Amino acid sequence: MILPRLQDAADNAEVKVSARNVNVFYGQTHAIKDVSLDIADKSVTAFIGPSGCGKSTFLRCINRMNDTIEGCRVTGTLLLDGEDIYAPAVDPVQLRARVGMVFQKPNPFPKSIYDNVAYGPRIHGLAAGKAELDAIVEEALRKAALWNEVKDRLDAPGTGLSGGQQQRLCIARAIATQPEVLLMDEPCSALDPIATAQIEELIEELREGFSVVIVTHSMQQAARVSQKTAFFHMGTMVEYDDTTRIFTNPSDQRTQDYITGRFG
Amino acid sequence: MTGSDPKSAHIVSSYDEDLAALQARVAEMGGLAEAMLADAIEALRKRDVERCREVVARDKRLDELEAEIEARAIRIIALRAPVAFDLRLVVACMRMSSTLERVGDLAKNVAKRGIDLAAAGPLPMMGSIARMGEAARRQLSEALDAFVSRDSELALSVWRRDVEIDELYESLFREVVTYMMEDPRTITLGSHCMFIAKNLERVGDHATHVAELAYYVVEGEPLDGERPRGTASDAPTG
Ligand SMILES: Nc1ncnc2c1ncn2[C@@H]1O[C@H](COP(=O)(O)OP(=O)(O)OP(=O)(O)O)[C@@H](O)[C@H]1O
Ligand SMILES: [Mg+2]
Repeated sequence: MILPRLQDAADNAEVKVSARNVNVFYGQTHAIKDVSLDIADKSVTAFIGPSGCGKSTFLRCINRMNDTIEGCRVTGTLLLDGEDIYAPAVDPVQLRARVGMVFQKPNPFPKSIYDNVAYGPRIHGLAAGKAELDAIVEEALRKAALWNEVKDRLDAPGTGLSGGQQQRLCIARAIATQPEVLLMDEPCSALDPIATAQIEELIEELREGFSVVIVTHSMQQAARVSQKTAFFHMGTMVEYDDTTRIFTNPSDQRTQDYITGRFG
Repeated sequence: MTGSDPKSAHIVSSYDEDLAALQARVAEMGGLAEAMLADAIEALRKRDVERCREVVARDKRLDELEAEIEARAIRIIALRAPVAFDLRLVVACMRMSSTLERVGDLAKNVAKRGIDLAAAGPLPMMGSIARMGEAARRQLSEALDAFVSRDSELALSVWRRDVEIDELYESLFREVVTYMMEDPRTITLGSHCMFIAKNLERVGDHATHVAELAYYVVEGEPLDGERPRGTASDAPTG
């Protein structure tokens, strides 16, 4: 499906995800109102906005996580590489292998650290044998800046880690399948500055091959890691532009008030 | 972007206090620099050595304020991580302080020459110098107004008018050269005139920079494009 390019589409870059007139309802609650935007490939896009404005809701549209929420209805068009994400033929599980997600709250499986990371590669048959799987697990854990802390207890339960470690475990799990798009919902909110910097370094690295969308409440983090920033407010997307522009000269008063800490 | 400060205050009110304190220091510097310039020209014209000395002494306060503004701005950047309008304002204040400090230096130089020249009798071309000095002071004054009142229209008009000072400088330059050629005994006085004129022309450039900063804070875009230029290319640059 070819859609007309949006005026503020990620210029020059190839579009990975396109959203047109997306609306999301939770029963009577209209959580996302007519949002249209293009997310570029090989770049980092940040979603910012006050709590409850719909960032997580919109993010969940991209890998159909909202399907699993009772009473949630999504309308409009969402395309991945030009293909309708909501087409009846699309298998949500396959889709989620291509569009990985790190959630706002860490949610390790009640399994060992190793199995948490090996889970995706196993079900998608990404490793030929034990040695290959070990290598995938190690690499994912290293990239998620967790390897040194867990390499001697890979058989321990993932749920026994600290909150910040659990979040890094979930990041390792999400990248182990090498998704094309990685959705990260406040991935660093429970991390210390060093682990945060390591995750930001990972994001920078992932950007070379993938499209990363990150929701963050840290303006500085959005400014540091992203090329494009979208500002959401009360379910609408108020402004979407180059990150540099958003943080030096935003066009909308609401964006300016929010990022400068003036929101009433 | 909107033509004025964001309407609402920061949620953290001490942030607003920090920004207000920073801007108060810049306003103080602007007032001092403008007054120093006016007094330097007046003292030069009246050959008032006492007043010249007094102007020279006032430069110290500008240096102190510059250092203070820089320290405050660095502190705000480190602790508050300003963005958007706030970022532009903090950056502009830092640059304002170094620009105004230089205006102070130039006024001080004029006053110092005033001390040396007081004994030498009336300066030739004093009328032209005073006119140029007044033009530079007015430019600076309006640029400062534009900055304080967030008036990008005024900033733009000041910026465009810099050409007038360049023209005054050019004509004064020719006048002095003719005068020195006619009577080589006037070369010493004539060169003093030229350096004073050059200082005032530099003040005009700094006023233009203040106007650029005023525009940037409001509009979020640098004032670019070719500024109308005078023809001062053959004039000395010292
Ligand atoms: N499962 C749900 N059932 C009903 N309403 C929901 C559900 N999830 C979110 N909402 C509502 O949708 C709106 C958007 O919520 P969402 O979680 O997307 O906000 P957010 O921008 O991610 O906020 P935060 O920054 O706090 O994470 C809110 O009004 C919220 O109450
Ligand atoms: Mg959320």
